[in-house]
Amino acid sequence: MASAELRLIRRRIRSVQSTKKITSAMELIAASRIVKAQARVEAAQPYTDKLVEVIGNVGAASGAASHPLLETRDNRTAGVLVVTSDRGLAGGYNSNVIRMAERKLIALKGERIDLRLYCVGKKSISYFRYRGYQIERAFLGVTDTPGYGDARAIANTILNDYAQETIDSVGAYTTRYVSALTQTAVEWPLLPIEPPVAEETDGTPGAAYTYEPSPEAILNRLLPRYLEASVFGMLLEASASEHAARRRAMKAATEAAEDLTKILSRQANQARQAEITTEISEIVGGAEALTVG
Amino acid sequence: MAATFQVDVVSPEAVVWTGEAELVTARTTEGDIGIMAGHEPTMAALATGSAEIHTGAEKVTVAVHGGFLQIYRNQVTLLSDRAEIVEGGADEARTQAQALREAEEAAQDGDEGQPQSE
Repeated sequence: MASAELRLIRRRIRSVQSTKKITSAMELIAASRIVKAQARVEAAQPYTDKLVEVIGNVGAASGAASHPLLETRDNRTAGVLVVTSDRGLAGGYNSNVIRMAERKLIALKGERIDLRLYCVGKKSISYFRYRGYQIERAFLGVTDTPGYGDARAIANTILNDYAQETIDSVGAYTTRYVSALTQTAVEWPLLPIEPPVAEETDGTPGAAYTYEPSPEAILNRLLPRYLEASVFGMLLEASASEHAARRRAMKAATEAAEDLTKILSRQANQARQAEITTEISEIVGGAEALTVG
Repeated sequence: MAATFQVDVVSPEAVVWTGEAELVTARTTEGDIGIMAGHEPTMAALATGSAEIHTGAEKVTVAVHGGFLQIYRNQVTLLSDRAEIVEGGADEARTQAQALREAEEAAQDGDEGQPQSE
């Protein structure tokens, strides 16, 4: 019959080991997801590159093209888009972004600029709601594997508000996937659109373009696409970062579980040994008492 | 053999098709356009319809909904939110493009009810 102490330690070992099974499974899942997410980031790159090239060319061709989406307005109401995940267990992934965004929100309040908050992912929604911020629009279920349709929905929402002048600028707070080891929370200005700089043309002015229908009409269609593509790229990077952060967190958790199991099993061995020693000395003591008696 | 030029069909999620072609036809908002090597630089908005790429050896049909067509330095780029390679002829491609358009409209209608809370 094991002593109470031994039983307790063994129970803890079992619990730590079953937790370890879960964390190591999550680590493996996240690792496989990173590969996929990374491939999606890369697959989206050609489109964005081409779009940037086209906008650069059109911009160069139509001279100083002016478009509502390109003009900086007096910043009275700032739109803030926060991109986090729906699920936790990803280390500092969500809190880094949220902390950065909240610092900005406080700074904006200090400058007496109105705010409109757009949240992607359950984590930012519950954080800001709990703290009493009003959330204009929340998007759920996009961060795991973002589709282009999700990006379009988000881009359309902020475009509409921007067009109606309810907001004068939009900045996003999200995580950039720098490498498998580094993901950094960044501020990513979305609106007004910073026109991408045209790639150095070899002296041939883009003015030679024939436009169908007109440069303005093309620009009108191009810029929203560009915003969508930016948002899409942002979501993809955030998703890759989320999986990378989760993998790292789960790896750390698995290792911690291993260490803990080692320590606990030493304690268990010690307790068992102590128990045996007590038993033996009890028997010896008992026998001794008999012989003496 | 006719002169060829580089063609890329790119959608946000992938490069749909890339290679050399002799002739490309596509439907823009202003009407159908046919492109051969040495075409002048052009920027056009694409409509819903089919684009055909003739490489000499084969013909690739792509269903396209929206996007842009750029011809620049003998390079043709089709940028489209929705582009898919379609087996079969132009008719199938047009049907498919129409389906893409409907899918988009359905998605947009879906957005209307979206202001989600938890």
